[in-house]
Amino acid sequence: MWEKKGKIVLGLYGISKVYPGTVALHDVNLEIEKGVVHGIIGKNGAGKTTLVGIIAGIISPTKGEIVIEDRHYTHLSCIKARQENISIVPQEPQLMLDLSVAENLFIPNYHLASKGRRIHWDEMYIKAENILKQAGLGLNSRAQAGELSISDRQLVLVVKACYVEQARIIILDEVSASLTQKDEKLLYRIIEERKREGKTILFISHRTDELLEICDRVTVLRDGRSVTTVSCDTLNMEKLSSLIVGEEFRFQRICNEIAACDQREKETVLEVQNLTKLGAFQNISFTLKDKEVLGIAGLRGSGRTEIFRSIMGIEPLDEGLIKLKGKKVRFASPADALKKGLAFLPEDRESEGIISSLSVRENLVLSALKKITRIFCIHKQTEKDMITHLIHSLDIKISSAEQEVSQLSGGNKQKVVVGRIVANQPRVYILDEPTRGIDIAAKESVLKIIREQLSQTGGIILTSPGLEDLLLVCDRILVLYRGRLVAEMRRENFSETTLFNAVQGGTEPNQVAGVASN
Amino acid sequence: MSKKTRVQMFLLDNLIWLIVIGFFLLNAIITPHFATYNNIVNIFYHSSIMSMLILGQGLILIIGRLDLSIESTLAFAPGVAMLLVTQWLPGGAGPVSAIILTLAVGALVGLFNGYCIGKIGVNPFLQTLSMLIMLRGLVLFLVPFSIFPLHDVYTYAGKARIFGNIPVAIPITIAIFIIFHFVIQYTPFGRFFMATGGNPKASFISGINTTRIVMYAFMLSGLLAAVAGLLYAGRQGSVNNSMGDGMVLLAFAGAILGGASLEGGKGTPMGMLGGGILLGMISNSLNLLGVGVTLVYATKGALIFVAIVLDRIKVKLRNHLMQKEQLEKILHQSKGDGESFSPSS
Ligand SMILES: Nc1ncnc2c1ncn2[C@@H]1O[C@H](COP(=O)(O)OP(=O)(O)OP(=O)(O)O)[C@@H](O)[C@H]1O
Ligand SMILES: [Mg+2]
Repeated sequence: MWEKKGKIVLGLYGISKVYPGTVALHDVNLEIEKGVVHGIIGKNGAGKTTLVGIIAGIISPTKGEIVIEDRHYTHLSCIKARQENISIVPQEPQLMLDLSVAENLFIPNYHLASKGRRIHWDEMYIKAENILKQAGLGLNSRAQAGELSISDRQLVLVVKACYVEQARIIILDEVSASLTQKDEKLLYRIIEERKREGKTILFISHRTDELLEICDRVTVLRDGRSVTTVSCDTLNMEKLSSLIVGEEFRFQRICNEIAACDQREKETVLEVQNLTKLGAFQNISFTLKDKEVLGIAGLRGSGRTEIFRSIMGIEPLDEGLIKLKGKKVRFASPADALKKGLAFLPEDRESEGIISSLSVRENLVLSALKKITRIFCIHKQTEKDMITHLIHSLDIKISSAEQEVSQLSGGNKQKVVVGRIVANQPRVYILDEPTRGIDIAAKESVLKIIREQLSQTGGIILTSPGLEDLLLVCDRILVLYRGRLVAEMRRENFSETTLFNAVQGGTEPNQVAGVASN
Repeated sequence: MSKKTRVQMFLLDNLIWLIVIGFFLLNAIITPHFATYNNIVNIFYHSSIMSMLILGQGLILIIGRLDLSIESTLAFAPGVAMLLVTQWLPGGAGPVSAIILTLAVGALVGLFNGYCIGKIGVNPFLQTLSMLIMLRGLVLFLVPFSIFPLHDVYTYAGKARIFGNIPVAIPITIAIFIIFHFVIQYTPFGRFFMATGGNPKASFISGINTTRIVMYAFMLSGLLAAVAGLLYAGRQGSVNNSMGDGMVLLAFAGAILGGASLEGGKGTPMGMLGGGILLGMISNSLNLLGVGVTLVYATKGALIFVAIVLDRIKVKLRNHLMQKEQLEKILHQSKGDGESFSPSS
């Protein structure tokens, strides 16, 4: 154990959690000091969410003891955790989508904004407005939560835990995974501020750089056991990565060697002209060549997701032309698009990606059933071969292929959705943040699959939460700002700073290779 | 997984059939004349109509909707078909056309429901409720008295008996269930059904034509209701306007007993057959025991309740089993490691 400096606010001793089919945690000990930012990291399915779930009273441990200050518990309930002033922002943002932002902030603590037994609506909106302003979030408190982007939803929950509930111990489970760079800064500021006020923060993330930057201590989990808890001063990225993976970890700069090949020779698979959806994006024109990896970089609300959804026929377009291999098309639904060779990976895996009542096997092959069907019947052996291959190459952690997807950890769910697209092998892959919530090792392998396997069979359009991933795998990057394409860069003149500036809206035309025609 | 656990899991998955067998054995002892060849055939015969409705309802529950209108379709389809061949069509038509017309009318009613729900987006409860009332009203209007006699070919499925006095309805029912079981379990079409029920939005985005699946499901449930109507009319030898009255709620019960869930994405046709046979056995045994008709109804109501509770217990039991299995494995490992791990609870 490490030498003790501060006062321990929270101690977990000998915690185990056994799920049907898996041991999520095995004899974990953890002590958290008051007023620190404590990071938790580990591969997908290592047990991070389970651990913090136990602290927040959502999950009850099979065995072990929880000590908060000097009160001992065998398990906490949600209510007990609230009384102990523990708040959690869960991995999958869960807002009441039909309610306003303000109401989401105050539910179920309406008493904070009411007089007597009556809810004082106006006051609630004003209070919410103030809180949002204090947090530096430019949102309308009357807006419906369902209209917000994923990034905003996540921030609303953070604000709720940090400012409304005024928790002593704040748990943030992979919140930064769905934030864009600008929002990340906001999050770090909020965390810093809370820390200064003496609150304790538990921070889960898959990004080693981020963790090292904002945390004081880090606990590494591996296969449900706590490997070690170390102070961040003594760590660097390589060391931390090795601890997570359990062996010497080298960043294989997979794609640095990619020759910036000339795209002009290749056949164009997808071409869009002047796509417009009022209020979301205007005059979007680009082409996608065969075997090309095209990145779209942009801030939240810049319209990436909306463009994808409109191309796929999920939401209608106001105007514009889509050409597939030179032929004019307009897809009525994703089913229509899939038939013609476009597959789409949605951003929100929980509600739009996985089908949680089905098994991992059924989810993986769902879009590729045609390939494994022989005379009306699904061929069992072919199906088995297909999923064994996918599970292996994506390193999906499951107890068996028959396990329900709802029981997987967040990152493994994401891998299942990615696997589904990979299995289908369409001509055009439209991937909205495929690496969201995936651990460092698996991220490399997903990017590698994108670069080496997928790009052999078709063209790829890709977005990513961070710019590094795009710089790593793309042949070309388009920059989207407030619904317009503002810049285009080719691999030979990629530069992180230029890209970063362009994404923020500060385009410097002389540094950018070519501005997309409007 | 150990052999014991695997057997236990298998039994849990087929819980409804365990109950069917258990209930049968119990009655074989306490109910006079229950376990006789004739009575058993009788039970199957009497379950066949309800089983068709249960299967139709089950398919709809699998895609996460519900269909209240099947009991009215059961009367409407043969009613309209008979009126067509006897009165409305100039020159009339033969009994085979009558059978085809019956099935077609059922399928069309279902398709209309499916169109309104899948394409236009009407709430399934309201849509099928309105059809339930409207079709029953139409039947009462069109068929003031019963229509009979029916042609022998038309009543063949419901009335005729083949080898050793077995009603044709029984092999027909079993064949239909086998076909549906196969389709749901082993074809892409079946997978699409399960996926659409599990998460319609994700299924839509993953490239399943969910609208079409919804329309197919309702069409099939209409078709199955028409088959049920054909069997019903055949058994009675006539078409009357109160056929099927009050059967839809029991069809829900049967489907849920058979493993379907109101949330969608769950259930298998074979399980639903078990549900149908169980309902049939219950009314049969209560009849033999001389319990009054009204009480039989109440018992079936109680059964719906049992079905729901059973469903929860099943999930709990399964989790418990797997957890036990896992704990044993850890214990085994820890012994090897020299650590101690004592499972509490
Ligand atoms: N309800 C459940 N039933 C069965 N197994 C479960 C359940 N919930 C989680 N698990 C399993 O417990 C393990 C730990 O899951 P957990 O969600 O804590 O992982 P995690 O570290 O948060 O991973 P990620 O980085 O992917 O979010 C996983 O192997 C998962 O499959
Ligand atoms: Mg997690």
